Amino acid sequence: METGGTRPGEGTSITTHDEAVAAADKDIIEAHANEPAPLLPLLHAFHDRDGFLSEAALRAVASGLRLPLADLYGTVTFYDHFARFPPGKAAARVCDGPICMLRGSSAILDALRKDGATPMPCAGRCDDPCPVLIGDQVLVGSSADALEERPSKLPVPNPGGYEECLFAAVRDPARKTLEGYLATGGMQGLARAVEVGAASVIDVIKDSSLAGRGGAGFPTGVKMQAVRDAVCEHLPTTRYGARKYVVCNADEGEPGCFKDRVLMDHDPFALIEGMAIAALATGATTGFIYLRYEYPQTQNVLEEAIAACVARHYLGSDVLGSGKSFHLYVRRGAGAYICGEETSLLNSLEGKHPFPRNKPPFPTTHGFDSMPTLVNNVETLCALPRILVQGAAWYRDLGLGKHAGTKIISLSGDVQEPGNYEVPFGLPLRTLIEDWAGGVPQGRKVQAVTMAGLSGGFLAGEALDVTLDEASIRAHGSFLGAGGIMVFDDSRDMVEVARQAMAFFAHESCGKCFPCRIGTQRLQERLEGSAGPTNHDDFLAELGDISEVMMSTSACGLGVAAPLVVTSLIKYFPDAVAAHVARTRNR
Amino acid sequence: MTTLDSPKTTAAAATATLTLDGATVEFTLGETLYEVCQREQRHVPTLCYDERLDAFGACRLCVVEVEGVRNPVASCTTKAAAGMVVRSNPARIDKFRRTLLEMVASENRETEVDAERGHASQELSGLIERYDARRDRFRGKQSGKSKLDDSNPFILRDYDLCISCYRCVRVCAEQEGDYAISIKGRGFHTQITVEFDGDLRESACTFCGQCVQTCPTGALADKKALEAKELPGEIELTRTVCPYCGVGCSIDLMTKGDKVIGSRPAMDGPANRGALCVKGQFGFDFIQHPERLQHPLVRGDDGELRRATWDEALDRAAKGFVEAKKNHGRKSVYAIASGRAPHEAAYATQKFVRVGFLSNHVDNCSRS
Repeated sequence: METGGTRPGEGTSITTHDEAVAAADKDIIEAHANEPAPLLPLLHAFHDRDGFLSEAALRAVASGLRLPLADLYGTVTFYDHFARFPPGKAAARVCDGPICMLRGSSAILDALRKDGATPMPCAGRCDDPCPVLIGDQVLVGSSADALEERPSKLPVPNPGGYEECLFAAVRDPARKTLEGYLATGGMQGLARAVEVGAASVIDVIKDSSLAGRGGAGFPTGVKMQAVRDAVCEHLPTTRYGARKYVVCNADEGEPGCFKDRVLMDHDPFALIEGMAIAALATGATTGFIYLRYEYPQTQNVLEEAIAACVARHYLGSDVLGSGKSFHLYVRRGAGAYICGEETSLLNSLEGKHPFPRNKPPFPTTHGFDSMPTLVNNVETLCALPRILVQGAAWYRDLGLGKHAGTKIISLSGDVQEPGNYEVPFGLPLRTLIEDWAGGVPQGRKVQAVTMAGLSGGFLAGEALDVTLDEASIRAHGSFLGAGGIMVFDDSRDMVEVARQAMAFFAHESCGKCFPCRIGTQRLQERLEGSAGPTNHDDFLAELGDISEVMMSTSACGLGVAAPLVVTSLIKYFPDAVAAHVARTRNR
Repeated sequence: MTTLDSPKTTAAAATATLTLDGATVEFTLGETLYEVCQREQRHVPTLCYDERLDAFGACRLCVVEVEGVRNPVASCTTKAAAGMVVRSNPARIDKFRRTLLEMVASENRETEVDAERGHASQELSGLIERYDARRDRFRGKQSGKSKLDDSNPFILRDYDLCISCYRCVRVCAEQEGDYAISIKGRGFHTQITVEFDGDLRESACTFCGQCVQTCPTGALADKKALEAKELPGEIELTRTVCPYCGVGCSIDLMTKGDKVIGSRPAMDGPANRGALCVKGQFGFDFIQHPERLQHPLVRGDDGELRRATWDEALDRAAKGFVEAKKNHGRKSVYAIASGRAPHEAAYATQKFVRVGFLSNHVDNCSRS
């Protein structure tokens, strides 16, 4: 694939157009090839320059990074936002997430379709719909002619009057600069971590009962300990040497979740401080923030914040005079929900096909580049600084009753005041919906809510009396997960909501394991009535068998959780399902 | 860092025991549950598994129950551990396997395919039959789109039959090292392809045929062998060694009646373990080629070749050799055998030169 050379006898002084292009490509490659996790930034550089990823660009990247071309081609086609042809990046992407579909996004899409607009899955603006992504600009509005750029909505002051951990300072505009962050108590947690040392930091975090806020709920201190204790022997040398990593999962792809965005947009230094603390605790020297594609403005915020921290030695080769180094990079995803699954995320960072990995081994021993890696959600990492400053007991006591700590809930849908709320664990769901968020519109009743964004399926009827903690919600066969809750009042067609949800899971299934790849498709077809039995019993038997095999045998959480939408629909809305089957029969 | 003085592994590998279907079973540390089940002769179905490749965990047919673990685990990717209590085939697992097979069957145009397609081509149809999986459940869209217009002469790309097990992708990367096969898109719309969706001839493919032979549905198929599918009779396999070079790849020569219809790599061939190159895989159609020499020819006084009897031809050859040796010495004769000739002919050639002329002036075109 020599593209830049000249043959003997050809004039050497004349630069052809092709040679100029090849030289420009080479410059882009050289600018990125030697940084850690280079593939995504490199692809974005070409995608930004050309508006799409041309064959020539992919050939240049493959040869520059020494990747098999077929592999690279396949990997690029995995990502929803990488275009291969014009108009590519210039064409609008309109959110067709569950809330935006209730708020008129179809009409926006129709209005923009003549210019090449296409739908995109939930883009994380459910508190301020409907987002439209054009180039690197996110506009929001309720119709195509009312689109404007607006900052992420700040959370309202805590309606329950509870003390907050994560949102305590987020409403203070000063937090957006390093000076303001320092003036409002910032970096004291990191200073404390440097002072007390790794072992004490991990003890405090363990004692605080903080657990993964991305949904899995694994105890954070235990995970940190595992990374700290992991030895790098299994691969003595890699391209970057033997080292440990901290990776922040900011690929907030779950529909109905928009909490990480508000944290990063309005309190970016808290995330950086949290990651630096995690690095000191685990012995990691390099970190990545894997940010979803749909948050371009957030990327600017984070990169500016990182640069400010490097200049003041909160990051870099000698963090706060500790002698320890921690280098932090932002990596932008390209549109793939599965990359929120931590091992898919790691494969994506490494430039591999983003299928989830088989576990064990876990990332704590075999993470990025097969090195010990701490992967945590934005919310988890943002909690670390204040826990270190205020103490484990303080954090635990933020929860109600026997519950420890707080959780940010992204509440959206049919409520008066959608937005992010930091709730103490154990708060009744009805209190959040009715008292905090003003309830459903006048004259309406809550018909159902989703849990964990979409992954937890629906709760309805008496199950709405749950309290917001895993034990209470799991007793109803669902889970709190990342904390997205969408409210649907009694005017909504729940079969249609379930259909949209399953269309999302089918769109985002990676295609690796059979039950999820085929199951999401078949469930979608049955919910839209395009295929499947028209006899009620056979219909339920097929849905039941598919759901059961997906929940029991899928390789990762996507396939395990996706059928909850169907099983909870059948459980809470059997009459609506029966009517749906009857409609397909009459079609 | 691993150092030189780290403890050496002892000659006898460490073993432990687990409970498999109620029986205590010994295993070697590092073995997977699937390997233990295989050794203990449990039937555990698979579609994405190829023992030569890294376990992938995609088809989920090999799931087994492990006590204390909520969901069944894929036995191919789960290492056996001391004290595990494993059930390989309880009724619940049996039902999952049947449902999964019914789901897989629903995405394909057909599941019964000609055995000529490839070594593993009957795996899916065999399992469907074994589990009595119903073909009429889970109807809906079909996955994969065939690319029958690919003009290469060797590999049929009938992706209507593809079940996205990725064995072709992995064998190409892990065994052959070509990395020619791509996974395009995702989910149900996953399509096996090559870079920029082109023809195989413009890709990194070397036509080794390993993808064809590992495909469990016949989606990738041996075009040449399929030409013989209308011939009457069963396919007979004869184990032999590929004559094309000195590696010594074991092959199973496929015949129907007196016709050679193709070759297959022997999965247990000690030199190749299922691998071949384009010649060993696809280079046997010369045997029945219409232009092949079928009787002796001698050159007449006019310089033209004409048909002769064996006696006449052998007399003519012997005379020439004797004259050459007499006039120019025993080293005047040099023999080179063809890689397309049988091994017996190659043996006879070297014997002829070494014994007849007391010289080592002998070679084979496929010496390596």
